[in-house]
Amino acid sequence: MALDAMEKTLRPPELMLKAYPPKVITLASGEKMVVREAKREEVGALLGTLYPLFGVAKDFYDIVSVRMYSEILGWYRYRVANEFVLVGTIDGVIAGIVTSRAVTAELGMSLHTLTIKRGLRVGAQLFAAKMEHHLDVLGEEEVYIVAESPNGFKRWMIEYQLEDRSSQFPQVRHELGGVPTYVLTRPLWEAVRESKCTGTRPVSPEDLKSSEKLIMPSEYSQIPGFKR
Amino acid sequence: MIDFSMYEVKEPKISAYRCTSCGTLYYPAPMVCKTCNCRRDPVTNKGWETFDLQGPCTLLSWTRLWNLPEGYTKKNMMFGIVEFENGLRASGQLEVEDPQTGMKLVAEVVESDERPGKSVNVFVFRQ
Amino acid sequence: MANVGIVGIGHTKFGNSSEYDLSDVLSYAAFDALEDANFLSRRREIDQVIVGNMASGLFCHQSAVASALVSRMDMEPVPAELVENGPASGASAIKIGYMAIASGMADIVLVVGGEIMRKVSGWVGTDYVATMLQTETEYNMGLTLPAFGGMFTRMYMERYGLTQRDLALLAVKNHENGSKNKYAHIQAPISIEAISDGPEAAVVNTYVAEPLRMYSTCPVSDGAAALLLVNMDSEKAKSFPKKPIRIAGIASATDTHCVHNRKDPLVLDAVRIAAEKAYAMAGLTPKDISFAELHDAFSILELAISEEVGFFEKGKSYLSVRKGETNIDGRLPINTSGGLKSKGHPVGATGVSQAVELVRQLRGEAEKGRQVSNPHYGMSVNFGGFGNNVVALICAKE
Repeated sequence: MALDAMEKTLRPPELMLKAYPPKVITLASGEKMVVREAKREEVGALLGTLYPLFGVAKDFYDIVSVRMYSEILGWYRYRVANEFVLVGTIDGVIAGIVTSRAVTAELGMSLHTLTIKRGLRVGAQLFAAKMEHHLDVLGEEEVYIVAESPNGFKRWMIEYQLEDRSSQFPQVRHELGGVPTYVLTRPLWEAVRESKCTGTRPVSPEDLKSSEKLIMPSEYSQIPGFKR
Repeated sequence: MIDFSMYEVKEPKISAYRCTSCGTLYYPAPMVCKTCNCRRDPVTNKGWETFDLQGPCTLLSWTRLWNLPEGYTKKNMMFGIVEFENGLRASGQLEVEDPQTGMKLVAEVVESDERPGKSVNVFVFRQ
Repeated sequence: MANVGIVGIGHTKFGNSSEYDLSDVLSYAAFDALEDANFLSRRREIDQVIVGNMASGLFCHQSAVASALVSRMDMEPVPAELVENGPASGASAIKIGYMAIASGMADIVLVVGGEIMRKVSGWVGTDYVATMLQTETEYNMGLTLPAFGGMFTRMYMERYGLTQRDLALLAVKNHENGSKNKYAHIQAPISIEAISDGPEAAVVNTYVAEPLRMYSTCPVSDGAAALLLVNMDSEKAKSFPKKPIRIAGIASATDTHCVHNRKDPLVLDAVRIAAEKAYAMAGLTPKDISFAELHDAFSILELAISEEVGFFEKGKSYLSVRKGETNIDGRLPINTSGGLKSKGHPVGATGVSQAVELVRQLRGEAEKGRQVSNPHYGMSVNFGGFGNNVVALICAKE
């Protein structure tokens, strides 16, 4: 498809990013979660999954879902450079989504992490997968990270022992506007990878097939009595 | 004359107690001796003497704690229970590469301000 | 001793009630117990209210909880006192309620145990719970209750050969039971593959205090439970619709505050002594007990306590767990409610919650799939501090 000159001007220059190899994790309940990269044609299911959470103020779901919605739309409409979206599915139903982007070949910018299915550490697993993609697959050297919620701060800043570069503001500044900015460097990732990042590869054909078509959740524990 | 030594920077110490009537050792300080029923007055300490608890000890059990309480910023911390040569036991922080039950350690005392309130003296067990 | 029976039970769904006032949560359970006993409109005939709560001053910034509750329940001028015994506050409240009836000063006593822990963050909560440790020699060092759970687990594993998988089996059993308990905090079964056998288990079942893992420690919960006790020999006992479940034995004992000062840190003297006194009071032996609720704040404690009360030989309980003897259909079901692991552990509520489970099982009112068949005697052990103050309770179906 020939892009017209205006559209070409509006799109950011792009790096060709390596694909994320899918993996499967057995969650505590025994359910299997397939973690894979989302495809552009799946954006409807992703946006439809996020939309109901716009009105949930509890646990910061409102700000995270809204900002993630804009990131995914930005990715789809070619207005955000080098973004990738990973999704975790259980029997095809979306359990969690993470967004992130490569700034350069050396630097990653972690955007958002959102858990739909709570109580199974889905967010923790997907955040680790995101870091795995930045540092192990894309080969970057460090990733900037900020937290919007206390849960996020606890899971990442403390459990990963992220390097605090808030004193270097504004030279070190996270795109989401967050200060303090923390950083996951390669040595820090090497130290936690074994205890944080897990999953079995390759994914069996049945498990891959179960995750082929993204299904929007029909219920949300965050929204009692929800009907789509 | 004023005792100016009170202004010296002192090494942090942790005290154990001995009942002078019967010699039984205690850590922490009791209010009564279980052997001879001698009471301790925390103001005068009459009938009791203190001594520094430190030095060689044996590791009885240990853990690496990942969920630290408010005030601690490390990723995890190790703790252990040790037994000293005089039979007294203590709990404290452990700074050892590869802890094994039964290993010989040395108990040192450092000042810590991680808990809320005033600084306190804590045990650190090292090789 | 008096003949004290339980004629009403109430229990909130354990979980996150942090947006509510503590009195609201306590009174909810209390009113459920009063309705169960058909006594709501006669609540001012209650002779005494005993509340069990550990740390409302820290978690909720509220004190004098028993006084607050009486007003919240529109029960003035009924006498009310608070009993605090760390995580054994609930069972201690039952014991004091029993003593009130046995003394002759009361015929009808309302016991309510509750806690709201989730108004504060997890780190602050861990700090507050740690205040029950000895200040100079334990708290100041940075130790927490899970740290002692970890060290106890390590010693037990090294001495008796217990494995990680054995601890995981307890979590699977308790979640299986809890998934059917309408009051449980976590009502979801978990799989042994996910937390122990599978390739991702080491990360999914992450360490809390090595070697203790996440699925071997109970969640942080809010909630309350309540009992209505009555003097079964009094005229008033005839007013209640449900047959009383008799308190056959109740006793407690203490041990050294400092864990390091126990002669053998793996021996829980307070558990053994409290259980022995409760058996003696009830005229029973361990063999008579049909099922039990044992305080598994850390899964290792379910094993250690089951041995101290005489159900299994020291160091051998995990072998029986492997054979399924403590499953709901086994010869001695333990933690039929889901235990603290799945049911949750609002510290002041637990002792009363365990008693509510004993009553539900003995009445035959437990949910399908977790009802013990034809039980006669149920036992509960409520563990305060790290084993330095323990209460044992035995209930009997008459």
